[in-house]
Amino acid sequence: MASNSVTPAVANATEPKGMPSPRQLGRFALRYALVIILALFLVTLAVSNRSFLTFSNMNVILIQVAANALLATGATFVILTGGIDLSVGSIVGLSGVVGALFAQDDGVLTCTEAVILGIAAGTAIGAFNGALVAFARVPPFVATLGNMTVASGLAFVASDGQPISGLSDQFLALSGKVFGLSIPVAVMIVVVVLAWIILARTKFGMHIYAVGGNPQAARVAGVNLRTNRFAVYTISGFLAGIAGVILAARATAGIATNGTGYELNAIAAAVIGGISLAGGRGSIIGTVFGFLIIGVLDNGLNIINVSPFYQLIVKGLIIIGAVFVDSVMNRGDD
Amino acid sequence: MSASAVADKPQPAGDIAVDCSSLTKSYEGVPVLRGISARFMRGTVNVLAGENGAGKSTLFKIISGQVTPDSGHLALFGDDVRRFDARHAQGLGVSIIPQELAPIPDMKVWQNLMIGREKSGFGLLRRKQMIEEAVAMMEGVGLSVDPSLPMKRLNVATTQMIEILKATSRQAKIILMDEPTSSLSGREVEQLFRVIRRLQADGVCILYTSHRMEEIEAISDTVAIMRDGAIIRHAPTSTLTERAIIADMVGREITELFPDRQITESDKPVLEVSNLAVKGYKSLVSFTVKAGEILGLGGLIGAGRSEMLEAIYGMRRATGSLRLDGRDLPLGHMKESIKRGIAMVPEDRKISGILTSLSILDNITLPHLNSFVTPGGLLENGKRRAQALDVLKRTKVAYATLGQKVGHLSGGNQQKVALARWLVTGTPRLLILDEPTRGIDVGARSELYRLINDLAAQGVAVLLASSDMPELINLSHRVLVIREGAIMGELKKNELEQEAILRLAMGRSSNGKQ
Repeated sequence: MASNSVTPAVANATEPKGMPSPRQLGRFALRYALVIILALFLVTLAVSNRSFLTFSNMNVILIQVAANALLATGATFVILTGGIDLSVGSIVGLSGVVGALFAQDDGVLTCTEAVILGIAAGTAIGAFNGALVAFARVPPFVATLGNMTVASGLAFVASDGQPISGLSDQFLALSGKVFGLSIPVAVMIVVVVLAWIILARTKFGMHIYAVGGNPQAARVAGVNLRTNRFAVYTISGFLAGIAGVILAARATAGIATNGTGYELNAIAAAVIGGISLAGGRGSIIGTVFGFLIIGVLDNGLNIINVSPFYQLIVKGLIIIGAVFVDSVMNRGDD
Repeated sequence: MSASAVADKPQPAGDIAVDCSSLTKSYEGVPVLRGISARFMRGTVNVLAGENGAGKSTLFKIISGQVTPDSGHLALFGDDVRRFDARHAQGLGVSIIPQELAPIPDMKVWQNLMIGREKSGFGLLRRKQMIEEAVAMMEGVGLSVDPSLPMKRLNVATTQMIEILKATSRQAKIILMDEPTSSLSGREVEQLFRVIRRLQADGVCILYTSHRMEEIEAISDTVAIMRDGAIIRHAPTSTLTERAIIADMVGREITELFPDRQITESDKPVLEVSNLAVKGYKSLVSFTVKAGEILGLGGLIGAGRSEMLEAIYGMRRATGSLRLDGRDLPLGHMKESIKRGIAMVPEDRKISGILTSLSILDNITLPHLNSFVTPGGLLENGKRRAQALDVLKRTKVAYATLGQKVGHLSGGNQQKVALARWLVTGTPRLLILDEPTRGIDVGARSELYRLINDLAAQGVAVLLASSDMPELINLSHRVLVIREGAIMGELKKNELEQEAILRLAMGRSSNGKQ
């Protein structure tokens, strides 16, 4: 065919640069619709309710979101590879119970050992998920749905269905403060920053995006699909383990049902933050916005006395809205 | 009869990059390779010519370790390959560029180029260095693309070039290219050739498949002609003529690629398009297609022809009005379009033309299932089979059984199936063809041309979008040239020339004036 010196390398070049077209404006509005609606909600709250926009309330929100932040970070890794992890809620319960069992006030094991064992339990389930998905080629939805039940069952067995209390003071101190910062919040900040560095600045991170973006192309480029898939589920389990231990310390007991339903909050945070469920698209910064939005929303709805039942409905609709926006945006790419 | 100067001349063993001896492979008892023996040297470009289904892809898969041969030997650089494994082959320096593009659409251009070859320091990526390297790679072939653009913003041709760059820069010693130029335009083919010549100078052995004759002459040192799973001739390109290559490929001389146009068109318009505005394009388009007429749509890749055809078929949103056989046709109602007799063979048959995982029978009868339903709501399979057999015979599809999955057919036969499905319940009123012969070999091509021509002679109105100039010029009765979704001009049969079409396609007037 002819020289295409007139055809630029970029598709859709018909759209002028400079001024955004009405279509682009529409897409922009849609993409940030959720953020805009929530911002309006926050402004209304801040203006109408004195107790919302206070330093202590902000601190409360951060402590409340810390556990979900860890789970959402794990979910981000998993979803970026095109997978899903439904087991993290149950892992939270299991890790909490295991940590609590070994953190009894009897002094048999040190607090550090208890924490390590609790986190190890979560990591083990995560690694099991990863092995199923990466090596046995079980679809992620099924593998992690199965392990959601397995982990939950293990937690009930280990705790005999009872809350494990009588925890050592050092263990309980995990919900306290370090350098004036609440420990859960400090852990959250460290984890999020590390996750950002890994995803945006390392080879491993680049490979995660490649695996989710086009597994075939990644494989041809020499990316090992199996190890990367195995790794992200293990990371997700590990972070859920940390969240479980922290929540047990906050609840002053290991409770098998402590994380029930948390997997949905984690996935919601990632999706609201723009992590595409199709894989390969999104950034941890988005996830941070996602879990902050959910946290602020929970807190705000509580402050204005919306029944928790209605809160569920609101949250569900927001998740659907986020996925809808994602799919509309994808359609626009064709 | 692999008697050839190249193969017979004694060569130092170290210079033999690929040495195949008596390779055979069968799938489900059907032999695909029947004893391939050939040697390909370092620093040479070798074209594998052959119709689709001749066994080229299978040979590529064996060399790249994706498929284990049933018998025979393969040696790479003198070492016998015992384990057929893709990673192992990659380690030996074999790189394959598949026909289907494999970009990572959401990642940036530089990331796409550098994936698998990351540069890190203290565990962190050296982004700047990687971006510079990516830019250098692109500049080496005269490609100037912003490395930070997401891959999905590039057009098909640029994407293809990036993919080729990616594969060739991976320390490859043997590069297999499966029709690398099928979506490239002239200038980009030149860029690709520059890459190939550089690789050749570095001692890389290149195996290349192509259906474009002019490319074979321009780039290759040797031609290996494959037919029915065997290499029937392997000779230096300079000793072969185009005619001889084609004759060997098909096993007969194709006297006429294009059938004589039997123009039997009436004045009766079949399709009347007025003020059609396709979503995403600004222009209003109006034209008519008469019964028995083949109306060609010319233009460059990305000119908006496919979008226009999809709008007429009802697949894509548009405004304006359509009339079929003098009656209004609602826009955006594919079901109605099918019912009224519009048939569509879309551009990318694997995406929207056929269902590769379904059988031939199911593919052919899918659009017409309503006409095979008994009053009880069940499918009349006997009638379905009878009608399918009938159209398969008419369209000369080469297949084993009706239950065979369409994905197992060669590209040419897949395309025939995509067309055959519209002939089940009689002939359509309007046949829409979008790049009907892309990636299809000469033999199947000429049969498709004959079929299209016959349909037109029977009074079917045909809309043919094609980027293949000879095809457009020799099949069409009239051509509309499209650019950015607008009709730039109309060329009558006696005005059909490549230059005139190109001038219009590039935004000039047909007679060379501005």
